[in-house]
Amino acid sequence: MSREANALGWPAGPVPAGAPLIRLEAIHKWFGNLHVLKGIDLDLASGHVLVVIGTSGSGKSTLLRCIDMLEEPTSGHVWFKGRDITDVRVNLNEVRTHMGIVFQAFNLFPHKTALGNITLALEKVLHMPRDQARERARAELEHVGLGQKALSHPGQLSGGEQQRVAIARALAMRPDLILFDEVTSALDPKLVAEVLAVMQRLASEGTTMVVVTHEMGFAREVGTHLVFMDEGVIVEQGEPKAVFDNPQHEQTRRFLSSVL
Amino acid sequence: MNRIPAPRPIRGFVALREGSRPLGVVSAVVGGLALAVVLGGTTSVLAEYGIRREDRIAAALQSRELFTLLVFGSLLGAGATALGFGTYRRMPTRVSREEAIAGAVLGLQAAIGGLALLWFIQGDMERFARNFLSFEQIVPQYEAFLNGARNTLVLAGAGEFFGVILGLVLSVFTISKRAVVRAPVRVYINLFRGTPLLLQLSLIYFGLALGLGVNMSAYTAAILAFSLNTGAYSAEVFRAGIQSIERGQMEAARGLGLGYMQSMRYVIVPQAVRRVIPPLMNEFVILIKDTSLIAFLGLSYAQRDLFTVGSQGYSQFFNATFYVASGLGYLVVTLPLIRLVTWVEKRLRSGLLGAVA
Ligand SMILES: Nc1ncnc2c1ncn2[C@@H]1O[C@H](COP(=O)(O)OP(=O)(O)O)[C@@H](O)[C@H]1O
Ligand SMILES: [Mg+2]
Repeated sequence: MSREANALGWPAGPVPAGAPLIRLEAIHKWFGNLHVLKGIDLDLASGHVLVVIGTSGSGKSTLLRCIDMLEEPTSGHVWFKGRDITDVRVNLNEVRTHMGIVFQAFNLFPHKTALGNITLALEKVLHMPRDQARERARAELEHVGLGQKALSHPGQLSGGEQQRVAIARALAMRPDLILFDEVTSALDPKLVAEVLAVMQRLASEGTTMVVVTHEMGFAREVGTHLVFMDEGVIVEQGEPKAVFDNPQHEQTRRFLSSVL
Repeated sequence: MNRIPAPRPIRGFVALREGSRPLGVVSAVVGGLALAVVLGGTTSVLAEYGIRREDRIAAALQSRELFTLLVFGSLLGAGATALGFGTYRRMPTRVSREEAIAGAVLGLQAAIGGLALLWFIQGDMERFARNFLSFEQIVPQYEAFLNGARNTLVLAGAGEFFGVILGLVLSVFTISKRAVVRAPVRVYINLFRGTPLLLQLSLIYFGLALGLGVNMSAYTAAILAFSLNTGAYSAEVFRAGIQSIERGQMEAARGLGLGYMQSMRYVIVPQAVRRVIPPLMNEFVILIKDTSLIAFLGLSYAQRDLFTVGSQGYSQFFNATFYVASGLGYLVVTLPLIRLVTWVEKRLRSGLLGAVA
């Protein structure tokens, strides 16, 4: 039994060769009577940047949250490294150590410093010795340009800085992929660029990312694959530039003309 | 350009408004003075006569000086009220309007207070002073009161301490998504919130001794009852505090791979605890007063709490001054706490305590 298989809990066994990092299979999600995701199929390979666009309320966040099972699909399967993590026997806490998520509202822990936000999971989840955790946290803060702010509390940081700490917090876990849910939507226009710059660099370093965004420039330039969602279904997908320049569906055209 | 023409001032009216401005200051000063005469006058007359002996207090209360001062203060207050209420609408500036209103209100307080005192001192002041203000009898009991205050604080402190720990644990059960976990805790909480503390105290002390042969001291029983009761109340306080933490905090913690209990322990509860400090302190103030219920258990001399000291003093000497002293004792403890709650609340609201790790 490999260490990795062990980390995923059940089922153990070798990772099938050629399996995508993430595979969504016929995902449906209901909130009561509200049918939010209506059969989503999607593959994501390592090293890719998947960009998800669509109108507000079309189910983008729900889809993203289904990937790390913060939201449990009503039906369908999520495969992570060739294993079905919708199986109840899977230890989701361990699965989530392999994925990071960054939220629109930052969701930093206000009672902890920037450093403390990052070291918490390193110490309590990865069981890293304290010194080593702090060292890695500092390195990650440097990486997002916030080496000076290690001891600041979230309340003392600007929105852009908070979001960069949140990204550093996710990165510090050395995840296989990071999920970004409209991470610049709550920021002043001035601060958007600094966060996008960090994300762009991560992409260029080969980080696997799923990015829900309204930043069409970013989607076009940084994305390797683009998905347009509307009312819980994937209407159109493809290479970003191709979709932007030559949308095949009327809905896509209408959406793009409304945001560009 | 299309300007709206400024309304043309009416001469006489303006003159009146300008002229009435000092009246605001005047009514504020008169009102303040009236209240000072009533309160300060009473205090200084009492001080002059001395309050150690009840007959001196009675003499002070029946003195000509006090009567004159109260009449004067009441009249002054009535005047300030009339002046303030009569003129505040016509004040040209916000400040002078507030001055007029303050004068009117202060004057009214002085008039009401003064008249009430005037009415009161017509009564039998000797009897009043003998029964309520006979501090001479209290002074020798000084040690007993101190000991009572200590016991009260120990009882309330222990009850609050164990109760808060119990409440924190219970609160985590009450927010479980599983009904089988929530239900028994709900039953416990509702039983303890739905019955009188006195009943719980009696059941634990007398009931357990009689029914199960468990003998414990009144003190132990009281601490047990106070802890169980505080546990039920503080569980609800903690639950509200935990539920007030944004959903995103739990999601961020889980997203990092922390388990549910780890997320609670390291992320949610530390934030919730800060928010519930003021309500828990208020519960503590209530518990301090509720410890007086222990009087019904029959206490040994050394175990007596503040209330019991007062009430046993009353039965021994037939003098209500013991109750007065006991009440003052509670205030010495609770008033600073109440002030502290306000202070903490203010700091929490300004985020100063929230930032401290
Ligand atoms: N926890 C929830 N409970 C009920 N309805 C929800 C919940 N989360 C999302 N929804 C609903 O699901 C729909 C899709 O939401 P979301 O995935 O956030 O869309 P998007 O991110 O594209 O704006 C919306 O109508 C929203 O109101
Ligand atoms: Mg969303």
